[in-house]
Amino acid sequence: MTRLLRFADEHYLVVPIGAAVAIVWANTGAYSYFQISRALSFAVNDVGMAFAFAFLAQEVVEAMLPGGTLHPWTRAAVPIVAAVGGIVGAVALYVFYIRSGDETNLLAGWPIAAAVDIAFAYFIAASVFRRGAAVTFLLLLAIASDAIGLVIVSYRFPVLTVHPAAAALLIPALWGAAVLRKNAVHSVWPYVLVCGTLSWFAFYWTGVHPALSLLPIVPFLPHAARDLNPLADPARGRHKSAAHFEAVFRYPVQVIAFLFAFVNSGVSIRAFDDGTWAVLLAALIGRPLGIAIAAALAVSGGLELPRRVGGRELAVIALAASSSFTFGLFFATAVFPVGPLLNQTKMGAIATAAGALLAIGAARGLRVGRFAPDASHST
Amino acid sequence: MALEETPRGQVRRRLARRAVCLAALLQLTIAAQDLTLPNRPGSVKFAAIGDNGTGEFEQYDVARQMKIWHGKFPFEFVIMLGDNIYGGNGPADFVQKFERPYKPLLDAGVKFFASLGNHDDATADISYKPFNMGGQRYYSYARGNVRFFVLDSNALEPAQIAWIGGALKDAQEPWKICYFHHPLYSDGGRHGPSVDLRVVLEPIFVKYGVNVVYSGHDHVYERIKPQKGITYFVAGSGGQLRKGDLRRSTNTAAGLDQDQSFMLNEVVEDDLHFQVISRNGRTVDRGTIHRQPQ
Repeated sequence: MTRLLRFADEHYLVVPIGAAVAIVWANTGAYSYFQISRALSFAVNDVGMAFAFAFLAQEVVEAMLPGGTLHPWTRAAVPIVAAVGGIVGAVALYVFYIRSGDETNLLAGWPIAAAVDIAFAYFIAASVFRRGAAVTFLLLLAIASDAIGLVIVSYRFPVLTVHPAAAALLIPALWGAAVLRKNAVHSVWPYVLVCGTLSWFAFYWTGVHPALSLLPIVPFLPHAARDLNPLADPARGRHKSAAHFEAVFRYPVQVIAFLFAFVNSGVSIRAFDDGTWAVLLAALIGRPLGIAIAAALAVSGGLELPRRVGGRELAVIALAASSSFTFGLFFATAVFPVGPLLNQTKMGAIATAAGALLAIGAARGLRVGRFAPDASHST
Repeated sequence: MALEETPRGQVRRRLARRAVCLAALLQLTIAAQDLTLPNRPGSVKFAAIGDNGTGEFEQYDVARQMKIWHGKFPFEFVIMLGDNIYGGNGPADFVQKFERPYKPLLDAGVKFFASLGNHDDATADISYKPFNMGGQRYYSYARGNVRFFVLDSNALEPAQIAWIGGALKDAQEPWKICYFHHPLYSDGGRHGPSVDLRVVLEPIFVKYGVNVVYSGHDHVYERIKPQKGITYFVAGSGGQLRKGDLRRSTNTAAGLDQDQSFMLNEVVEDDLHFQVISRNGRTVDRGTIHRQPQ
């Protein structure tokens, strides 16, 4: 039982569970589901997700410290180039598909094509490659894609009235965080409650997605270098400290992830339409093609792929990055307000979970990772 | 002993029976083509069409019927429930899918007030003068004792939700009629109701006393039994048709999924009278909605 819970915790199984509950409920008792999801939407998407993104950002920041997987950051060059290629490929196919039909209102949803589900990517990478350079490569690619996507969607938050002057609240927020850092305050609470709150209002009132509001605070939080494995249990150093962000928010973030999947995944199966196909094709075909082409160009330009990552591994990595699921849902809710456009694209984001099967099928067909004939020696 | 009927007598009797049947049929047909609306001078008269802009012959047939009925019932304007122009949105498309089929009505001075469907190009539609949208995705206008509220149900952003609440609250007219593309209630098999929109809009409609709501999207005609005091119509077969797609439920008051149709409506004081006409001119539904006191 403990092992099962640990597996569920490490693989964020709360996300597919939340999504499954939402889909079943939305198709059997739609009115009560949409009432509840609407009531929870603001608290989960605009407040709770700020902690989830801070949790993820904290791990990326720590991976960039000396001794971390991303140090120096130039090691991430090829995955970043591949991520950009993946976005270009996915967005191009999304736009092409929508333009070839007559539902042009969906064009505004192109940023959804940038999303890669980090948990799914990690799950597939760990299933196929177990560990090693290919897993890190895929995680870097996923994080880079989502970082770019977040920048794009951050300014499309649908808010009633924008107050640009509220951006000034960021000054005391950052100044406060710097002072806390300078005085070696190790508890995360003053950072989150005081500086985080100011930053949240600065983002919300200026029309920038408030789910990103803790990101400017994250670099000031107490850190310790770590491996880049966003989902595994960190086993050393300050990560175990009760005051460390990861220790404090580990389980609350699981609850937020469940609620996020629950609130956003509930769509009628009849919502399957052009927007669904556009997101699906962009993720399953456009992104893998874009990743492959960009990585090939990067290598021909002199950059190097990690050791033991060749063409076949790259093909599996590209397909493993095709699931957009959680981030796709987040981007969709950031880009479209309530209505059929949102439902169609959310359905597409959920359907991209099929990318996991494609990746594992490709790994089996190409004999990569644990499917390699010499799997015991493989990375 | 019974008298044997001559062959001539048999023929005469058969002919007489046929004549009676024909007369009855003719009477029925005439009745079906009869206008059942009060057609009072000074009342608010309008037609409603949805999902019409195909440019196919069925749309032209419906348009012809509209013109015929306009001769008997001179409706002043037409409300368009979205999917006004399918496919391309170039100038030629607007001619083929709007200006040509409705030319006789346009020439007669009938105005069209459009809402946006999922197949419409918002930029092209809102700036197309004959759609009378005034460059807006959502807007309001009044005729007599009726105020119409037109929404863009493709995406219901906070600004639009705030607008409809405010506009309904400020409206002075006793009749409040809303229309938009995606139905809050529908028994159409392909799409069905947009429950997520209903959760947002219905409380506002109830709070501010909306009387009737018209939508399209499902390519059938359906009248829904009043829900929380509001009557809902789905009229999405003004050009398109999804035959046999209506899955009648306990909410269905009337419906048609075998032919295209359009609606005629007349508001006389506290009553809204409606008559639904099929592509071949048959009356398929009719009735009166009495305005509930606020």
